Amino acid sequence: MNIRIAQWVLSALTVSVFLTACSRTEGGSAVAPPKQGFPSEEVFDQVPVGHTAGVIGGTTALSTPNPYEGQPQAIQEGKALYRKMNCAGCHAYDGSGNMGPSLIDTYWRYGGLPVQIYKSIHDGRPQGMPAWGDALPPEDIWKIVSYIESLGGTAPATGYQGALQGDRPGEQVAPETLEAPTSTTKGGTSSPPNPGEAKP
Amino acid sequence: MMQRDALILGGLLVSPGSALARMPMAYLRTFGPAADPITRLGWGLGLVSIAVVLIIAALLLGSIFHKRRMLPEEPNQLAVRREGGGMRWIYIGVGISSVVLVACMIWTLMTTALVSNPPVAPVLTVQVTASQWWWGLRYVGQDPARTFITANEIHVPVGQPVRFELSSADVIHSFWVPQLAGKMDIIPGQTNVTWLQADRPGVYRGQCAVFCGAEHARMAFVVIADEPKDFSAWLDGQIKQAAMPASGPAEQGARVFLAHCAACHTVRGSGAAGLVGPDLTHLMSRHTLAAGLLPNTPGNLAGWVSNPQHLKPGSRMPNPTLSGPELADVMAYLNTLQ
Amino acid sequence: MKVINPPSIFSMLRLLPFAGLWVLALVMAMSPCETKAADATSSATGATLNFAPGDPAGEWRSQARDYANSRYSPLNQINTENVHNLRIAWTFNDGTLHGHEAAPLVVGDTMYLVTPFPDIAYALDLTQPGAAIKWTYKPNPSPIAIGKACCDVVDRGSAYANGKLIYNLLDDHTVAVDVKTGKEVWRTKMGNVESGETMTMAPFVVGNKVFVGDSGGEMGVHGWIAALDVDTGKELWRAYSTGSDQQVRIGANFKPYYPWMVGKDLGIKTWPAGMWKHGAGSVWGWISYDPDSNLIYYGTSNPGPRVPTQRPGYNLWTSTIFARDADTGMARWAYQYTPHDEWDYDGVNESILMDLPMNGRVRKVLVHFDRNAYAYTIDRTTGEVLMAAPFAYLNWSTGFDMKTGMPIVNPAEEPKPGVKLHVCPPDIGGKDWQPSAASPRTGLVYAGIFNICMDVTDNEVGYIPSTPYDGMNMSRSAAPGGNLGEFMAWNPVTGKKVWSIKEKFMTMSGAVVTGGDVVFYGTADGWFRAVDARNGKVLWSQKLGSGVIGQPITYLGPDHRQYIAIYSGIGGAATVRADKSLKGFPAEGGTLYVFSLNGDSVSNGAGQLNSKNDAAPASANSGGSPTH
Repeated sequence: MNIRIAQWVLSALTVSVFLTACSRTEGGSAVAPPKQGFPSEEVFDQVPVGHTAGVIGGTTALSTPNPYEGQPQAIQEGKALYRKMNCAGCHAYDGSGNMGPSLIDTYWRYGGLPVQIYKSIHDGRPQGMPAWGDALPPEDIWKIVSYIESLGGTAPATGYQGALQGDRPGEQVAPETLEAPTSTTKGGTSSPPNPGEAKP
Repeated sequence: MMQRDALILGGLLVSPGSALARMPMAYLRTFGPAADPITRLGWGLGLVSIAVVLIIAALLLGSIFHKRRMLPEEPNQLAVRREGGGMRWIYIGVGISSVVLVACMIWTLMTTALVSNPPVAPVLTVQVTASQWWWGLRYVGQDPARTFITANEIHVPVGQPVRFELSSADVIHSFWVPQLAGKMDIIPGQTNVTWLQADRPGVYRGQCAVFCGAEHARMAFVVIADEPKDFSAWLDGQIKQAAMPASGPAEQGARVFLAHCAACHTVRGSGAAGLVGPDLTHLMSRHTLAAGLLPNTPGNLAGWVSNPQHLKPGSRMPNPTLSGPELADVMAYLNTLQ
Repeated sequence: MKVINPPSIFSMLRLLPFAGLWVLALVMAMSPCETKAADATSSATGATLNFAPGDPAGEWRSQARDYANSRYSPLNQINTENVHNLRIAWTFNDGTLHGHEAAPLVVGDTMYLVTPFPDIAYALDLTQPGAAIKWTYKPNPSPIAIGKACCDVVDRGSAYANGKLIYNLLDDHTVAVDVKTGKEVWRTKMGNVESGETMTMAPFVVGNKVFVGDSGGEMGVHGWIAALDVDTGKELWRAYSTGSDQQVRIGANFKPYYPWMVGKDLGIKTWPAGMWKHGAGSVWGWISYDPDSNLIYYGTSNPGPRVPTQRPGYNLWTSTIFARDADTGMARWAYQYTPHDEWDYDGVNESILMDLPMNGRVRKVLVHFDRNAYAYTIDRTTGEVLMAAPFAYLNWSTGFDMKTGMPIVNPAEEPKPGVKLHVCPPDIGGKDWQPSAASPRTGLVYAGIFNICMDVTDNEVGYIPSTPYDGMNMSRSAAPGGNLGEFMAWNPVTGKKVWSIKEKFMTMSGAVVTGGDVVFYGTADGWFRAVDARNGKVLWSQKLGSGVIGQPITYLGPDHRQYIAIYSGIGGAATVRADKSLKGFPAEGGTLYVFSLNGDSVSNGAGQLNSKNDAAPASANSGGSPTH
């Protein structure tokens, strides 16, 4: 009798594990789809590039959170997309920028809120940022936003008014104490003596 | 129950051709030197095993039902006489078993030696990159200019060994063409090498043989063995670029394709050179779609492009945001990719 | 009455030496600007240069000074004795930031400047105190170009021809502006900025043709060089850097010296199927011209993508120098500096044309410091490598095989996706585009070079049009020695440095060497230096407002004074994290500095021009009590 109960319990547990696992594999990704779905077109239409005429303190559309908030797997998949879609080519593999601006500092010409970053990726921007709205579905763009948020420079959606009005701390950019970086890797075995050295 | 199974097995053995044609993954009949020795060994060991079972069964039954002679009753003697001389059975039994086992061992070793390397140096190398859940292929030519990339459908020349260098783009997979070779796992971080050869022209189905995620079951591929003439023709065709259509729905479709699909797909000659998904330069030359999931027909192609998540839920290709006319134009363009 | 006898002939003769001295002094006083420098400078190599087209000594009409790209000025008012007296004469701020890589042009009494994006052109009236602006031309290039330029939104300068100032806009247009009025004469579209292609190089004029090329080695472009008509801007011919022989303009007269460049359609055959289309080979560097043979010489960029395992093969014709007929564009010979480049070693650096005595014969050569850290002396009539020697620290190659003409690659430094390697020199090479200068007096070549390595990891990339086709994840650091930069004098015959000055920061500016045996260069942290060209002694240094990555020039003003002009404005590839974290790395700027002896110019000092605007000198007694 005890064995029978144990068998039932075990089977029930196994089945429930499989049932939960089924819902986690949509889209080939381990990221759960957002319960409330993705923001609609109307929400995006209300997100200005700067601020809205006649309105002080921003519109609530600016506070749209990232639907993948709190999902570490979204950050991982966003990082893979960041590389595959060549974001790393312009914004550098660590996000510090090169051809494109830095994504790890707190300066955002077109806004650093999650929904503003989504729009920058989806719509493109005038100084060479391509529009990805046709090439990437919303879930992929939100995953990239998750990755960018993880880099630390973005503004939280809940603090959208402060972000709009410049209530964010500034940053120290040029540390004054570093010396010339020297090579850390010992390339001893394969580095030939340099015959071109000046010998006056 | 047993009778039905016996009938099926018998039927399989009796009519291999017709049955196996409907069973592309059946590995009991193979068509190339990478697998034939194993098949022969398999059948051989099977027959040896059956013979052993029969002999043992006969001996067992014989000894169970063996009638012992009853001796006249004599006082102080056992009814059953203990006969001597049983050691002979043991000597014969062990002797025959040893010989047979050693012979099988030698045969096994010879077989593994035979299948580990091709009989002659392979003329062709194909680099396979397994991703979730499709197969990227790169044909390495003698000349760099004859090196090209395709996906999911491997062509090999009949009667010649082909070398495969297997690597993974993400997780563990396994490369298995049952009728041509054994399995070779594809392990992330290393490149495993295998080979196969098809001695007969035909279509051989392959499959990923290690669980690799939600759509592992739908990660198939085909190996098509061509006569040398057909193989060269196919190779030359694959090296050519796709032409950009000049006008009409195909030209519109090319533009829609570049905006929506070029980030992930390559069509050589169009400017689309994404590496995230399969190369589509000669999509219409392939017999199947979506890694062996569907036959490549216009209806299936339209169904796949418009709603891949329905046919292969979990695959990495997202449902595109195309309107009806856009989809029709893209179909027109894809149809030009012969 | 005293009788004064006329002086005897004998006594007159006694006066002769003094008279002679007096006459000599008179002669010298009458030509203060033509002091002949003592013939103490001897040439280490016997190199001679052809200074065609023979522009006036006091002008600077093209970025490289002449067809041979010598960047040598015969002016010698400023020399090793007095250069320490250089002071700022005047400055001009052009209103833009980002990397200032161009040299000013001086034609007649006007100086012409072009800025980085938005590519504004200025004409400054040198006869006016403070060099007032004569006109400004605003081309309004497309801002999309900003996001497609790999290495800052720079412009490497303009060219002067037939009363027009010709230069390239970042968004793939070449423009010609009337030098008198600043009005646009023609504007030719050379490419589409949406594809990721930009233009940054300085056009090069020969006769009535101007040569231009594209940028975008990291964007998977299809590189090319084109010839335009100077007066109309019409495209005369275009030669691509990859593709069929017809596209690359290779014909029957093409005779490369080395066998791996002999064959048909190698611009296709040395690439996997179709990859030549995005193989780059952009032409963003310098062009030289030999009027005797009518050949232009220029180099092509690295191949794309920057992940070599994706493109096996020699990848012709990237990292290659071409010699082409200037009229037809047909290639005469080519030499690939880095076959199957794996580290972004472009071949676009300048080639200085000179005649060098080597092994008993005078050879017509070109001298080229390549990104791959080898300095080449190449026979410019055939493409034969006469000398190849390393000038900077390198570990990607273990030597140079003179028989095959190929560098010997170190297999341990060949990148594979996902594997981190330490490679020297880095992608920007042992020397980048910053041009060198050659002096016929010392026979040496002067160049700012790098002492840098990179930690690089390759990642496979797909080509998505308008995005980078790159894949190199890298960070740079100093090579052994700790200094990032170095300025050297090089002997192109022996392949050795004669002297060098180590600099903590990158030396990414051009060089100019003068008849006064002074060579000028600048550093990334903003120091502008004058050095004795004979022995490398630093004679004078001045800290400028921002880093120096431009090209210095020297000219004679309308007041017959010799001036030195240099832009300061850090940017370019220097900001791609080699020394940004160093203490002392400057902020951006955009100021032109003009120096002269004691800071004298038309604005002040002796010899000033009379200007209608000059106020009457103030009275010494103004407002004071009357003096007696």
